[in-house]
Amino acid sequence: MTTDDHRDWRLSLGAYALGDLPPDERAALAAHLEGCPECQAELRELEGVAALLPLADPARIETPAVRPPADLGARIEAQIAAEKAREGRAKRRRRLRFGLGGAVAVAAVAAVLALVVLPIGGENSPAQEVNFGSVANEVSIKAVLEPHAFGTEIHMYVKGVKSGTLCRVFLRDAHGRTFSAGTFRYRWGEDSEAELSSALDLSQTAEIGVHAGGRTYVAPVSQATALASGAEIDPA
Amino acid sequence: MPALTREREVREAYAAHSGELYGFAVRSLGDAGMAEEAVQETFLRAWKAGERYDPEIGSLRTWLFAILRNVVIDMGRARASRPRVGPEQGIEPSVEPLEQALVAWQVEEAMRRIGEDHRRVLLETHLKARPYAEVAAEMGVPEGTIKSRVYYGLKALRVALEEMGYDD
Repeated sequence: MTTDDHRDWRLSLGAYALGDLPPDERAALAAHLEGCPECQAELRELEGVAALLPLADPARIETPAVRPPADLGARIEAQIAAEKAREGRAKRRRRLRFGLGGAVAVAAVAAVLALVVLPIGGENSPAQEVNFGSVANEVSIKAVLEPHAFGTEIHMYVKGVKSGTLCRVFLRDAHGRTFSAGTFRYRWGEDSEAELSSALDLSQTAEIGVHAGGRTYVAPVSQATALASGAEIDPA
Repeated sequence: MPALTREREVREAYAAHSGELYGFAVRSLGDAGMAEEAVQETFLRAWKAGERYDPEIGSLRTWLFAILRNVVIDMGRARASRPRVGPEQGIEPSVEPLEQALVAWQVEEAMRRIGEDHRRVLLETHLKARPYAEVAAEMGVPEGTIKSRVYYGLKALRVALEEMGYDD
């Protein structure tokens, strides 16, 4: 056998692996393979891919590859960002439900501030849910108060007021002193939760009030009961 | 080291694999809109399970394809459970089993990636079962050249599959 013969046989191995050689050539190559370990090895390499090729659909090969729309990546990123935000909120809610304080690291930093600014740290009192009772028709207000070293974290859930309504939230202590908890705007159709904070310690908090749409709604905050009903004190 | 828990990692994975995942989703679902949905769901699931991805066990590509496979199965189930009114319309999804469809799609993609001469020869002689002599005459080359192009074409196809990360 000459080198050229061997090269010719080798070039036929593709057609052989695919079963496309005419019978006479096939028999002759089979005879060559018997005594040629090099061609045997080469054939083994080609057989794998030769077995896969028939799975392909010729029509699909000739159709150009499809590309995803240009904005799909951005849409996925936006969805992940939204999911992340939702998860963050859910985590905070879970924390409230079980009456746990804030993250240890945050609490540690805040505690240093508390030594300077606040006489008492109320981290040990449980979180409280306050439902506002006598509110106008269709309006529903709920607050969850969470104790922190810096004061009180307030989650407000408002429904039924006009979209865009400015809501001013405050806490009051037993002596009637008012501590602002900031403002938010209620937006219809969006997640109605607003996150606020006030410097008044939860253990010192006697009332929570919301001023919205010309009315003020106030509900007592009790350490003994998690739920309390409020009374409208200041109709417009 | 876990991957795909951060947005940057998702972005990189998307840049590297979205084309292939989308191509396979279109092939198996037969609908561009559903394919987009499937790819979006795949990356979302990958991100949520990102901590469980272990590069020691397999490539990111293989992992993403495994997720997409599940998404496509779920979407197929959802579609099957919807009541049908009248005959089915639109592009027909692939009817072969999903595993086989995944392999077939990879071979088709690898075929698109090899040289034009090699692709054409494999397509005409094997997939379309045309005689070598006829294809040789059409391409204006000796029959022996067709035979050697089949040989080199198969080798190129194998390399293309390997480069795509195909593991059998």
